[in-house]
Amino acid sequence: MNALLTVSGVSKAFGGLQALSGISLQVHAGEIFGLIGPNGAGKTTLFNALTGLYSIDCGEIRLNGQPIEGRKPHQVLHTGLARTFQNIRLFAEMTALENVLVGRHARTRSGVVGAVLRLPATRREEADSRERAHALLQRVGIAQHAHRLARNLPYGDQRRLEIARALATEPVLLALDEPAAGMNPAERAALREMLLQLQADGLTLLLIEHDVKLIMGLCTRLAVLDYGLKIAEGTPDAVCRDPKVIAAYLGDEAI
Amino acid sequence: MPSLCPTPPRWLAFSLLAAGLAALPFLVDAGLGRSWVRLLDLALLYAILALGLNIVVGYAGLLDLGYVAFYALGAYVYAWLSSPHFGLHLPFWAVLPLGASLAALFGVLLGAPTLRLRGDYLAIVTLGFGEIIRIFLNNLNAPVNITNGPQGINLIDPVRLGSFDLSQPHELLGYTFTSIHLTYYLFLLFTLGVIFISMRLEDSRIGRAWVAIREDEVAAAATGINTRNLKLLAFAMGATFGGLAGGLFASFQGFISPESFNLMESIMILCMIVLGGMGHIPGVIFGAVVLTLLPEALRYTGDWQRELFGRIYIDPADLRMLLFGLALVAVMLYRPAGLLPSTRRRREFADAQE
Repeated sequence: MNALLTVSGVSKAFGGLQALSGISLQVHAGEIFGLIGPNGAGKTTLFNALTGLYSIDCGEIRLNGQPIEGRKPHQVLHTGLARTFQNIRLFAEMTALENVLVGRHARTRSGVVGAVLRLPATRREEADSRERAHALLQRVGIAQHAHRLARNLPYGDQRRLEIARALATEPVLLALDEPAAGMNPAERAALREMLLQLQADGLTLLLIEHDVKLIMGLCTRLAVLDYGLKIAEGTPDAVCRDPKVIAAYLGDEAI
Repeated sequence: MPSLCPTPPRWLAFSLLAAGLAALPFLVDAGLGRSWVRLLDLALLYAILALGLNIVVGYAGLLDLGYVAFYALGAYVYAWLSSPHFGLHLPFWAVLPLGASLAALFGVLLGAPTLRLRGDYLAIVTLGFGEIIRIFLNNLNAPVNITNGPQGINLIDPVRLGSFDLSQPHELLGYTFTSIHLTYYLFLLFTLGVIFISMRLEDSRIGRAWVAIREDEVAAAATGINTRNLKLLAFAMGATFGGLAGGLFASFQGFISPESFNLMESIMILCMIVLGGMGHIPGVIFGAVVLTLLPEALRYTGDWQRELFGRIYIDPADLRMLLFGLALVAVMLYRPAGLLPSTRRRREFADAQE
């Protein structure tokens, strides 16, 4: 197994609060890696550190062997790490199709001159982008909403649109921040199917999730964070039985 | 299902529009008088300015209150290179691109330090930038006389193409084309060019990236958009159009002074965008035309009072601005998305009613 993402000794403090202290973990190519922990454990902070939204205090992050710490978000995305957000961040006043087209930005090149003169290369690129965007909307199951504004989509479809937008950037690693939050059981089942399908297509997934049933059934391996520390890592079964994990989730008295 | 009542073909609509635009100055001349043709020229100039600012404010969502600085730069570059002030008389087709390029350069220079700022903070810095340029123009007459200070620069060359002088009347097919008629066609040409570029950019990778930055800068960056470069590009594109309009203004007026480029101008251009429909090209043009013509039309309030009451109760100069302000407030209350909102915004209302 080769490591696609290697995080070593990453720390991040906000003033006096140590949000991440010396986190190290490895995500292998082709797996679904879960990141769990109580609220405020530092899961989203780690996501933000990985994707360049936060600068880290120390440590190293490598994707496919390339160091990506200290890079800007768009540069991180270019190396193949795309993400979704816990509190959905779509381009609200754009249509679903346009949202996915924005995802194509990083993988296309036409500039002002090409756009104004509609050069053949630009037209080809645009047609290709639209074709791929329609295919992605189809794939996440919201093709019927292509021309609706993102903000008017039902909640679950907004989450799917965010995944489609991230997929449009052609990532090798997709980081999903609570993709099932706010979904009903049927939507969760559909999401599960979709994530497994993405894995089958060769994508590696990094997943923050609170739904224990979903994460246990889906993930190859898990890491558990608590107060900015990694307290466990391993297969779902092993992590479940770890006394430190039980303590973090249920409180020390429960043991 | 084939439509029972076929819509007229596109070429027909286009030729009707073209004929209308071509005949407009003559119709206005005959109906309202020559001074209104001049206003028509100014309306086109403001349409170029508003479309330029629309790229910065409407698409990229960067609130720029110093836009008039680029207009001023374009105008002064034209005046320096094409008037007796420095004794230079370069042709307009060389000077206009120079002015636009210098404005674009300043757009990037202003944009670079303000990249981290958003919303009201950006507005304050750009407002300061606009004032700095104006004050520089006002004071750069000593020790070396560059701008001629508050007196401004006079005797700026009109547009000349070979032996064709735009400031002289010309006869064609029995019609007399005066200078302001010819200027109308020149400005119309440039306006159409700017509309074309705006439309093409709006529906492109670049335009979508701008709107994405406006909607959510963090998400845009995380989706692979180099927000720094695209914001600078928006500033540069907007400034280019501002500089172009400035050059046209200088050649049209023959005289410029720092007074023409005060904060009120920036605010007016911003009003045109907001009132017409932000980010929507027809709306922005409509806003520019309405806000150029309305204040002039309201000059007639004195005549209306005399007709109605036999005497003038309120000074028309005061009443004019009062009515203008009320009209702006009314539009913002009853049409918050602008007079001609984009289909996108209309679709929002349709969606909300589903």
